Amino acid sequence: MGNMWYTYVTNPDTAPDYKNPPTFDPLYGFPEGREERKICATRQQLDRAKVPIQKRDYCVDYYMKFLECRQQHFPRVWTHCHHQIHDWEHCQIEDTVLRVKEWERERRLKERAKRKAKQESMEAME
Amino acid sequence: MATFRKVCLLLSKHQKPLFRLRKANLSTTSILAQYWNKDWKPGPIPRTPEERAAAAKKYGLRPEDYNVLADGDIGDYPDLPLVARSWRDPFEDYDLPGERRNYGEPVNATADIIGADLWDPNADGYYTYGQIVFYAVLTFCGFLTAYLALSPYEYFPPEMPKQYPFNNLYLEKGGDPANEPEIKHYTFKRPEE
Repeated sequence: MGNMWYTYVTNPDTAPDYKNPPTFDPLYGFPEGREERKICATRQQLDRAKVPIQKRDYCVDYYMKFLECRQQHFPRVWTHCHHQIHDWEHCQIEDTVLRVKEWERERRLKERAKRKAKQESMEAME
Repeated sequence: MATFRKVCLLLSKHQKPLFRLRKANLSTTSILAQYWNKDWKPGPIPRTPEERAAAAKKYGLRPEDYNVLADGDIGDYPDLPLVARSWRDPFEDYDLPGERRNYGEPVNATADIIGADLWDPNADGYYTYGQIVFYAVLTFCGFLTAYLALSPYEYFPPEMPKQYPFNNLYLEKGGDPANEPEIKHYTFKRPEE
């Protein structure tokens, strides 16, 4: 609710565009760099397992483990594959938190850019 | 064993019926649940002034008030105004305050369907039909206006778009293999050496 108030009412100019990827350089502000996101599966493996496109995110490793477990234990999937489903859903939660952090980073960088522009314009006036 | 035998003999000698049909007291309310007295049936239509006076006395009316008979085939029952109980004076000291009626007061022949909270034949509508239709349409238009006015400000959680591997699934979405861009995604952790 607060993010909508921020975006539509108080600060529409510095609010991040939630529909497009971030506009700033991902490594800006990280002198030691950032860890890269990787998955262990290859494209061929995903195609052979016929994973749907919507599920081909950074949690496909856990999803593929769940598919393996499901193939072994079908139809009693809920009983035997609880651990795999939990791991996959936990990965999804972490991904959501990362997206929220990206939004916050974008917002703070935009506010900083606005402050810097204002300071430069004040300095230029003097 | 002996007492058991005695009890059995006593029970076998018992001749009266084991339970009596419950007799209700005479009810003073106009709604009768289970008992009806033959004396309360309306008599034949009075023809002579003496019969009329007797019928008026039976119903608790003055002879000058007893002129009109009720509708339908119910004999000499008088035609009384059909007034809802809620229209009667609330501060008068009635014998039956729940009914707003005194004992022996005659009521309309169809009075058992008129209650304080039931149908009131003299109640006029507070709103006209046109007013009702107008306010209904106005309410709907209000909701529609609110929907259209707020539709540019859609709901969203504070998240950036979801990140997908393999350069945002460039080939899976039908991209040209020769022009595959290089897109990298990062976490917020320090790289482990």
